[in-house]
Amino acid sequence: MTAEASAQITELAVDDHACLTFGEEEELLDLTAAFVRDGLAAGLKVVWLSDAAPQLAAGELARRGVAVQSAMARGQMTAAGSEGRLLAGQAFRADAAVGWLTRQIALASEAGFAGLRVAVDMGWALRPVTGVEELPRFEEGIATVLGGGTASVLCQYDRGRFDPVTLASVAAFHTCSVAAATYYADAVLRICRQYAPAGIRIAGEIDYQAEEPLALALAEAVRLEGDVTFNMAGLAFADALCTAMIADAARTVSASRQVVLCCQSGVAAGFARLGVVGLPRVSLVTADDR
Amino acid sequence: MTGDRARREAGNGSSGGTPSELAPLEQEFDAGSLYALRSAVAAHAAAAGLPPAQVYDVVLAAHELAANAVRHGSGHGRLRLQAADGVLTCQVTDAGPATASGDEKPDARARPWSAEHGHGLWVIGQVASQFAVDYGPAGTTATAVFTFR
Repeated sequence: MTAEASAQITELAVDDHACLTFGEEEELLDLTAAFVRDGLAAGLKVVWLSDAAPQLAAGELARRGVAVQSAMARGQMTAAGSEGRLLAGQAFRADAAVGWLTRQIALASEAGFAGLRVAVDMGWALRPVTGVEELPRFEEGIATVLGGGTASVLCQYDRGRFDPVTLASVAAFHTCSVAAATYYADAVLRICRQYAPAGIRIAGEIDYQAEEPLALALAEAVRLEGDVTFNMAGLAFADALCTAMIADAARTVSASRQVVLCCQSGVAAGFARLGVVGLPRVSLVTADDR
Repeated sequence: MTGDRARREAGNGSSGGTPSELAPLEQEFDAGSLYALRSAVAAHAAAAGLPPAQVYDVVLAAHELAANAVRHGSGHGRLRLQAADGVLTCQVTDAGPATASGDEKPDARARPWSAEHGHGLWVIGQVASQFAVDYGPAGTTATAVFTFR
């Protein structure tokens, strides 16, 4: 069972105006990293607007395998805050914001890029900003600007902080919705796809009662192309069965590709007991030391 | 759910003070309360003075013993955790058979990790200082002992 999402982050194309709803910072950064990574690889200009972006971009995206520093150095990527772009003196006007986007599309073309990708963290709309009621009109305006076959926009909404009415009012203007494919989620455990670097993420505590969704997640991870990361940095407990299942998956993948097991020391000890640590192509990264 | 109820006994009459005087933890469990059980065991083992890595081992052993009772025994059971004289004892009792067949006494240290049913018991044998399973007509009692590092 995977989450309802009309598109995977890796499937977005030009002219897409996608709505990303995220539930936690880790999910936002993972999906943003995949969006940026694929844009840079396609030779597009990439802009990430987030009030935390300039500080976070280099460290967080680089940690996920995106060569963001070199892209910023050569002008292929810009990470900036919303002030001076979507906002002017903490005031928002939809027409001005759409105008900013239109200029970015033109500038990317003039600079010789094949197109433009823009990720916009909408967290600014949660602050006391005048004109925030124009947010739906901004989203409608983005839809009219796109269509030229060169640009795509990823709007990022925190589903825990934006009210359902606002989310519903802007949803209709997007061409698709994006969220991390989720195999299991409750108050104790979350198992979902990780996009950058590719693999799965397991957080919380896991035991034999999650055997079925874990088996599905591992089966899909094994089928992914390239190196595979099992991100268990947020996993506080794994029982013997689940540890053995993950170890078996790592053995299967490592026959042809690199495997990274990122976990806390207690979980790491379980993998060590099973002899996974010494296997060629398997790296064990202890999250406590990151 | 039976496992939400935790009871600490009065022990030998003393209370508080050094970790060695910590009153035992007694808690019932079933499939729906294993998370709460792990939480209680972690808190008790830490309060007893075990280092974090050994606390994790105790939680792992307690979980595997309890999960064994839930999956292959009566479906529920009772855990008792007691620290005294530099030793922490984790004991799980249940009214059902300890193995699927009910007549085979598992040798924890001899079982390979790939044996699914025995894997949990194998892990306990790896992390505990001593481990024993006692089979009686009234049920099974499994005991894992941890010497303070």
